[in-house]
Amino acid sequence: MNILDIGDLSVDFPTSKGVVHAVTGVSLSVPKGRRIGFVGESGSGKTTTALAAMRMLTPPGFVSRGGIHFNSPERINLLELDGESMRRVRLRRISYIPQGAMNSLNPVMRVERQIWDGIVAHEGPADREELRRRSDAALEGVGLDPAAVAHLHPHELSGGMKQRVCIAIGVCLRPDLIIADEPTSALDVITQRHVMRTLREAQGGIGAGLILIGHDMGLMAQSVDDIAVLKKGELVEFGPTRRIIKSPRHPYTRELISSVPLVGGGRFPASAPAKPAAAPRRESGPPLLEFQSVSKSYGGATALRPMSFRLDGEAPRIISVVGQSGSGKTTMGSLMLGFARPTTGRVLFEGGSVPGRSSGERLEFRKRAQAIFQDPYACFNPFYRVDHTLRFPFERFGLSGGPEDTARAMDEACRAVGLAPEAVLGRYPHQLSGGQRQRLIVARALMLSPRLLIADEPVSMVDASLRATILDSIHDLKESHGISIFYITHDLATASHVSDYVMVLHKGHVVEAGPPDAVIGDPRHAYTRLLIDSIPWPDPDREWGSEVDARAALEEIEIQPETVHRGSIPGFELRQG
Amino acid sequence: MGRVPLSYLANRLATLVLTVFIAATLIWIIPRLSPIDPADVMFGRMAAGGGSIENSEAILRGLRERFGLDQPLIVQYLLYLRNTFTLDFGISTAGFPTPVATLVANALPWTVGLMLFSLVVTFFIGNLLGALMAWERTPRLWRIAIPAAMVFTSIPPILSGLLLMYGFSTQLGLFPLTGAYGLNVEPGWTMDFVRSVLHHGFLPAMSIVVVTFGFWALGMRGLMITVQGEDYAVLARAKGLRPRYILYRYMIRNAILPQITAFALKIGLLVAGQVLVERIFAYNGMGKLLYDAILDQDFPVIQGVSFVIILMTALAVFLVDLAYPFIDPRIRHGGAGA
Repeated sequence: MNILDIGDLSVDFPTSKGVVHAVTGVSLSVPKGRRIGFVGESGSGKTTTALAAMRMLTPPGFVSRGGIHFNSPERINLLELDGESMRRVRLRRISYIPQGAMNSLNPVMRVERQIWDGIVAHEGPADREELRRRSDAALEGVGLDPAAVAHLHPHELSGGMKQRVCIAIGVCLRPDLIIADEPTSALDVITQRHVMRTLREAQGGIGAGLILIGHDMGLMAQSVDDIAVLKKGELVEFGPTRRIIKSPRHPYTRELISSVPLVGGGRFPASAPAKPAAAPRRESGPPLLEFQSVSKSYGGATALRPMSFRLDGEAPRIISVVGQSGSGKTTMGSLMLGFARPTTGRVLFEGGSVPGRSSGERLEFRKRAQAIFQDPYACFNPFYRVDHTLRFPFERFGLSGGPEDTARAMDEACRAVGLAPEAVLGRYPHQLSGGQRQRLIVARALMLSPRLLIADEPVSMVDASLRATILDSIHDLKESHGISIFYITHDLATASHVSDYVMVLHKGHVVEAGPPDAVIGDPRHAYTRLLIDSIPWPDPDREWGSEVDARAALEEIEIQPETVHRGSIPGFELRQG
Repeated sequence: MGRVPLSYLANRLATLVLTVFIAATLIWIIPRLSPIDPADVMFGRMAAGGGSIENSEAILRGLRERFGLDQPLIVQYLLYLRNTFTLDFGISTAGFPTPVATLVANALPWTVGLMLFSLVVTFFIGNLLGALMAWERTPRLWRIAIPAAMVFTSIPPILSGLLLMYGFSTQLGLFPLTGAYGLNVEPGWTMDFVRSVLHHGFLPAMSIVVVTFGFWALGMRGLMITVQGEDYAVLARAKGLRPRYILYRYMIRNAILPQITAFALKIGLLVAGQVLVERIFAYNGMGKLLYDAILDQDFPVIQGVSFVIILMTALAVFLVDLAYPFIDPRIRHGGAGA
């Protein structure tokens, strides 16, 4: 029996520049108990379709054609329900697990109360004992300990725990259909695997249908029964997961599958290791960046244990720092950029301490060491055209020889990252796509001709197909502009493609380090193996492993704290302590 | 709940004392930058009242000694500090020989009553209206009426006071024109007196509410729009919660947080902003006391009133600092937020 029938659905957004057809003529059905994946890039209409079923389209969006029928307990057209009846359908019949796990819970309400209010809204007032019994059961169902978690406020939970609470809310009334909108997009691979496992078990336990929205074909292959591929609001391909992955018919599906970076696959920056000669050689001098027994603690918590390395910078290198959230990788980036001061040890940039003692030294350091961050939208001031973000540092650092010179430099930088200047310059940040924004941030850094670039998760918020392009741009900075790069990420697959050297961080400690072929191609440390096993691959035959395995693996890691050295590369040296 | 560690309490207390100390010092310095000699002023007033005066030199000297103006500045300052922190602000020069502390003690309850009442009412009405401006389920009539009511916000309080007096007192005769209580009642905790006070206080309070609720409403509207876009507001809808529950527990509950800080800061400002309102309603509060003191160049009273205003603001901020973690669980005592 089908739980949900979407028939010829179209959603329009009237805007001042004409009507945007967000969804056009989509028809598909979700059978009871089956898992359907909606796959596509941002703007493909996958979330809009799901929100239409929840009757929660953001104004001015509306359903212009078609129907959405829900078959439990009897067949009803969701689009014809009045507000109060639709409210009763939400959560009880169709539950929605939102994308932003970080902010989806009310920050001023205890976790259990956020489960209770959903129960009360649909089943009427109940006494506290009964509510507590139900919320405890719901939390246990998603692998959380009610005694430890129920009384906490959301900010006291980790990202993975928050997402589990959202799943607990979503399943506590045993709905017939669960819609999960990119439930793991903000999580690292290990947590992603745990959360997906939890979601599948919870969904299987109550026999509900599941719509999983995402852009990652690897994740889909490991998680759903059927895949619906959407492109620009149209359903381009629909079928069983195995068939879609093994023999995709539509070229867009093939593109989505091939854009998943594979561990051990070909290095996708096409230019790869071919032309080291192109890199301008730097004069020898003090090392570009050096950590001397640097450690960092916040209060009593150790974020980074003593670490020493030296990057010569004579020939540019890309060094990847890989780890989960909480591994200390972002702390490392902050130390390199002088945003945090080391608790012990020294950070040296070109022989001088970071960020420099005098204001002149600091300014020079800021020019020569640039950063790219995770969220390309937050890096722009929304009130200025993007030109301002590019022009301001260029002029501020005294690199400009006049307005024309600035304009020329901006054009060049845009071209260098594969953007047409006329298409992006003069526009406001909200008018650009995430990929365009992130490439502009790379261009901005490039304009200052830095020697060192710290890229902290530069591609985790953009679509898979754009990742390759942006990583290409970053790789090109090294090859053509001689910039050394620290690539900070939780994604081993992309790290293996771009980097010359990989450091795997776990709880503030380097557990394994060496060239990517050794570390990622043939991991020796249990934690590295766990990271690699957790990456979802577009292969329906692969067993993603159970949560129990993952827990056991994590315990094994505690036994083996020594760094496993897997060889070295010229120009970079990692030392113990 | 053990949420307030001693070190935090000590830290906030130290900040409180330091703020009050710096403010007290400024209050002492600023009048001394003026060329006016208070003894001269007082003497002038006496002369104006009683014609020519014998021994004028001796009297002036006596006055300076009485007020300690013959002491070196540093001694004056230290004495001032000691006196101020024991709430002894000296003697009013205009109302000689009434101590300033007595004047302040008489005026303070009136102002605090009027001010807290109008501030609390404004805060409540303003934030509720602001929330309704942003809420998507607000009836259409309200959506038009609330912004229209904002017109009042652009009226200065003195004018709103006069308009209310004209309308409700002169024309309709519903409320008394001026004063804090009727002349026919004896001050004390009697029903008649309390009723008289409420009756007299209504118009002054409304004249403040009418012009200040827009501040809260506009601020709240902006905060509500931000909160509506938050993921938790989206999930609240997806949970099928009742719209009114979402409005109160998810939206207003979160949007109100910055407004509470503003509330504490407003406490000090309101005494100052109330000066003219108290003046036109002949309401015997701190505002009127300050107004009269400025006209009379009565420095001890100006200092005393200013100090009390600052003390109240600092205390309010201190209390909000202590209360905030209970209102917003993300704020922990001891510095860094979540």
